[in-house]
Parts: sequence; structure tokens; C-alpha cells
Amino acid sequence: MANWLESAVARAESGDLVNDCFVGKRRQALTLLKQQAWPTRKVEAWKYTSLYPLQDKTFTIEASNDTAALSTVIDGLESIDLIFINGALQNIPSELPVGLSIASVNDSAEAWAVETYSSIKPERHLFGLVNDVLASDTVIIDVAANASIDRPVRIVNVLSAGHESHSRVLVRLGNNAKASFIEQAIGNESSFHTAFVEYDLGAEAELEHYRFALQTQDAMAVGGCHFNLATKAQLNSTLVGFGSVLSRLDVDVIHAGEYTHAKINAIYLLDNQEIFDLHTVIEHAMPNGSSEENVHGIVADQSTAVFNGRIHIHRDAQKVLAEMNNRNLLLSREATINTKPELEIYADDVRCAHGVTIAEMDKTALFYLQSRGVSLAQAQVMLNFGFINELVDQMPNQILAQWLRPQLRERFAQMEVK
Amino acid sequence: MLSIKNLHASVEDKLILKGLDLEIKPGEVHAIMGPNGAGKSTMGYVLSGKDGYTVESGTVELNGVNLLDLEPEERAKEGLFLAFQYPVEIPGVSNLEFLKASVDAQRKARGEDDLSAKEFLKQAREACKKVDLPAEFLKRGVNEGFSGGEKKRNEIMQMLLLKPKLCILDESDSGLDIDALKVVADGVNSQRSPDRSFIVITHYQRLLDYIKPDFVHVLADGKIIKSGDASLALELDAQGYGWLTEQREGDEA
Ligand SMILES: Nc1ncnc2c1ncn2[C@@H]1O[C@H](COP(=O)(O)OP(=O)(O)OP(=O)(O)O)[C@@H](O)[C@H]1O
Ligand SMILES: [Mg+2]
Repeated sequence: MANWLESAVARAESGDLVNDCFVGKRRQALTLLKQQAWPTRKVEAWKYTSLYPLQDKTFTIEASNDTAALSTVIDGLESIDLIFINGALQNIPSELPVGLSIASVNDSAEAWAVETYSSIKPERHLFGLVNDVLASDTVIIDVAANASIDRPVRIVNVLSAGHESHSRVLVRLGNNAKASFIEQAIGNESSFHTAFVEYDLGAEAELEHYRFALQTQDAMAVGGCHFNLATKAQLNSTLVGFGSVLSRLDVDVIHAGEYTHAKINAIYLLDNQEIFDLHTVIEHAMPNGSSEENVHGIVADQSTAVFNGRIHIHRDAQKVLAEMNNRNLLLSREATINTKPELEIYADDVRCAHGVTIAEMDKTALFYLQSRGVSLAQAQVMLNFGFINELVDQMPNQILAQWLRPQLRERFAQMEVK
Repeated sequence: MLSIKNLHASVEDKLILKGLDLEIKPGEVHAIMGPNGAGKSTMGYVLSGKDGYTVESGTVELNGVNLLDLEPEERAKEGLFLAFQYPVEIPGVSNLEFLKASVDAQRKARGEDDLSAKEFLKQAREACKKVDLPAEFLKRGVNEGFSGGEKKRNEIMQMLLLKPKLCILDESDSGLDIDALKVVADGVNSQRSPDRSFIVITHYQRLLDYIKPDFVHVLADGKIIKSGDASLALELDAQGYGWLTEQREGDEA
């Protein structure tokens, strides 16, 4: 029963295991990984998302630069770019703002990095372990205490046909630091990549975060963003996913200090037989924290959306305010939405609210638009857009919002109401 | 302009329009009155092509074009406009975006270029002013949280911007305060012209003091049972519909 996972383990064992300062953690991950079986649909974490498309696939592992056709440009955005092409990290920008440092671990890492690496990302993520053992070129980004970095840092994974890659970034925001990070993957041809980023937010640090999982069609991606929030740290995250044959994102937010705040806005837009699977876990470990999660999805044709939103309020985490809301628009009777809120509350003085709605497109609104001369197709785009735009409007970076909107429109134009 | 002949239409297998006839010439204003549930709104929906309304028989032509063969948006492009009795709320779509999409779609149908955002905004602001809606309403979601009267004024504003040939106003006066009634009536009157016609559906003779109709029809049980001039509305106001329906039953017996 050889499958993709076994070959990955074999690869790691046969000497591919990167021998850098993280090798101890990598060995640990390998041990854990070897105990894992290929997840079938009986495994809870993969209940609605089949790994079948990946199961027997083999890819080219050597990085190569055949991605000329894929543009990574975001118009008008002045960002600091870290670009992984089929897994190979391109040049680290040399001129960096004061307070920001970026290093690849080939250069050796500081003690904090060795300690933090793989400690924010929970062990339960199978592909996180895969990433532990296979990601070379780990990038360490440090934002100094009190620094406020205006230019966003962008982490881009570019994948071309037939490639497999694993990228890994570790970010630290010092106390009272402010920064903005954008994670992005590009390339719709058959490929597979895992991209995991860990963020360690110091006291009163503020992180503005985006993850655009806009690969579609045959591009497979499994990844995660994992955040640790110290006292009074604040996270504002926007996640956008188009589905593909396999697209899975795990988000973990650990409220490790008091008075932390996390806001997560997530959008998914699925078409054809694509799948997008978002698992979020909010850990309120300390009192007086708050979290607010809004997830809006539109599913068309025979696509499948999975949203698993877990909120875990620990026993001592009194006075926590946690809200989670998942709204779905179903454009076809053959599309599927698997949405599951999981609330585990052990503290008694908390406010926790959650809601799920699944609606079909409002036919009277469609008719109203048509009666004014707007074509059915355009009316559908407008209504879809209206459903999502609320969250796009809330993106703190409006250049990104402007870049995103036409892509959403194009996506909507392809999605049919049945 | 508009010719409806022997129109029969049903909703959910229930026959609502039962042989409706109506001829409207360019420039005319026709008022339609009639009891609740008579089929007045149904007529508006059938003419504009709403899903779920099935035409069983009869014909509808607008300036020689068979309306019944067309999609709702194509009917709008032929110059048909329905001011809804119950305008629809569309959160997330701004009124301005909605209006621009509507105007652009109709300009495109006429082979004209899209208006620039600036020029459009200017026109939209003027239209707002005409119906006494603050310009802030352009930024809000379509009809979202609008009061009953504000929704009606928003409908008239759309009519001002779209400049249709045949306007059906379905109870555009209901729920309006006296000042708003005048605003709506002024809006309509400002659009009266020799090549534009109106069907004004109302329950109240009072509106017709402001919008003077050329003809008044009574629609009851799915067809026009009486037509007359403006004085018919006064008669109805004084006596209700009872005498008409009794008279008709007498005729039929
Ligand atoms: N979807 C529907 N299913 C069943 N019956 C319907 C439906 N829509 C309308 N009707 C019926 O059709 C009839 C005509 O309704 P319509 O709205 O046209 O009346 P109206 O003349 O506009 O009345 P009003 O003066 O109260 O506005 C009513 O009896 C109504 O209940
Ligand atoms: Mg009515």
C-alpha cells in the first residue's frame, strides 16, 4: 500500500531531512509522522475532504524555474516579497525597513527561533509534520519590539505543472510591534504544496494578516497559519479560498495572554467539483480575550465547502467574548456545505455566540435587478458580490481589496445559479 | 404603445388574470383601481416577466414587440418599467451600483457608451433631489432599511434615471405622507410626454388629483369591468366597488 505519505516519509528518511538548527524538531516530527496512517474519510479531520486526488500522485521535487507565465504582481502594492518558486526561495530582499530582519536558516538561527519553530503549529496537523520534515529553506522573520513596518511582507508560493513543494516561515513580532503579512499561492496546474506559517505575537503586537488560497482546478494545497498571541496582542486576519481538487487550510489562534483580540474574516467561493476545507481553532487559554470570526461562502455546481470552527474556552479563561458566524449561499442543489461549529467552554463567565445560515440566491432580488435591464448573469454576479463584499470592504489594506475584487467578479461570472 | 388582448395568466395553477384587455396610446395616463386581490400587481408582474407567472393565453405587445417572448431584462430594454408595490431590499449591493448597472445596461442596449462614474453620479444626485431623497441613500444597500415611503421614492428615482417608455406604478402612493405624495406626483408629471405612457395602479382617488389620468379602469376578478374618465375615480371613491360587481353579476345572470 504505497501512497504519497509513505513516499514522503521514505524521502525524509533517506537523507533528505534538512540538517540545520531545526533538525531536532524535524526528527521528532518524523517519528510522529511514521506513526500516522494515510487518513481516510473515517478520520475526523478528513471526514469531508478526500485525500484521494493526492494518494497515488508523484511529483517533481527538484525546484525549477518554469513559471515564467505566472505573474506575482499585485498592482499598486509596495510589498517586501519572499517568493518560493516550486519550493525554492528566491532572493531575500536586501534593503529592508529598520526593525525588520529576514533570514533563511541556512544562515543559522537565533535561540528564540529554534525554540519557537514548530511550537505554535499544533502537532495534530499531519501535513504540518510533513512540512516539518520536508521544508528546506525555512525563513525566519523578526520584527523588532516597537517597530512599525509600513510595507507588507508577502510570502508567495508559485507552483508549476507537476511540482511538489514545501515552504515554511516563522515570524516573530516583538512587543508592541506592528506589521502586515500576505500569504499567497499561484498556479492552477496539477501540483501539490504545503505552506505553513507560524506567527508569534509579543505583548501588544498588532498583526494584519492575509492568506489568499486562490489556486483552483488541479492545484492541490494543504497548509496552515498558526498564531500565538501574548498579552494585549491583536490579530486581524482575512482568508480567501477558491477551491480545487484539494485545498485545505488549518488556522489556529492561541490566546496565550490576557486581553488579546483576534478577528478573522474568511471567504470561500467554490465552483465545479472543487473543494475548500477550512478548519479554524480558537484557543482561549487566558481571561479577558475576545475573538470574532465571520466566514462567508458561496458554493456553486457540484462543489464542496467544509468549515469546521472550533472555539475552546479553557477553565480559567473568564470574561472571554467569542463570536463565530458562518453564512453560506448555495447556488446549486448539487453543491455541498459541511459546516460544523464546535464549542467547548469550560469557563462559566464568558459570552460565546455562534450562528450558521445556508440560503439560496434570492430570486425576488434577481428579478428586481432584471426588471431594471440588468442581465441575469450580471445580476447574479452583483448579488454574489454583495454577499461577500461586506468582508472585502473590511480588509484594512484597500489596495489588496482592489486587487481582489475583479478576481472575485471573474470568479462569480463563471459560477452558475442552478 | 401597449396592447393587451384577452390575457389569461395564473400563479401556482391559480388563474388570476381572466381575460384582461387594455389599449394604451403614447402619452396617455391610465389609472387602474380595483379591490384587493383583483390581480393588479399580477398584471404588472406578468408584463415584466416575473418567474412563476404563467401566461395561459392572450397577447401583450409593446410598440409592436411581443413582450411575452422576452426575458425580464429585455422587456426593460424595450422601455418597460415597473415601480414595485413592495420594492426588494438587497443588502450588500449599493443603490448607486444598482442604478449604474441598470442605466448602463439600458444604454448598452441602445448602443450608447457607459456613462462616466462622475457624470452618472451627477445624474443620480439630481434624481435624488427630485424625489427628495438625501444623496446618502445612494451609498446604502438597495432599499436596505428604507422606510416604506423612502422605498417608493427610490422607485420613482429609478424611473427618472431610466427614462422608460411605459411606466407601471404599482401603488406608488400607498404609505406616503402628503408631502411625499406630491413629490412622487411631481416626479411622474415631470416625465409626462407625448411619447411616454403610464399605468397608475392606486386605491386612492387623491393621487389622481395630482396625476390627472386620461382613463380610469376598474380591474376586478382578473379583468377590466369598467372604464371611464377621471370622474369614475370620484364615483368609486364615494361608492366603493360593490355597485359595480353587483351590476356585473346582474349582467351575467
Ligand atoms: N404566489 C402566489 N401563490 C398563490 N396565489 C397568489 C400568488 N401571488 C398572488 N396570488 C394571488 O393572486 C391574487 C391577485 O393578487 P395581486 O397581488 O395581483 O392583487 P392586487 O390586485 O394587486 O391586490 P392589492 O390591491 O391588495 O395589492 C390574490 O388573490 C393573491 O393571493
Ligand atoms: Mg397589488
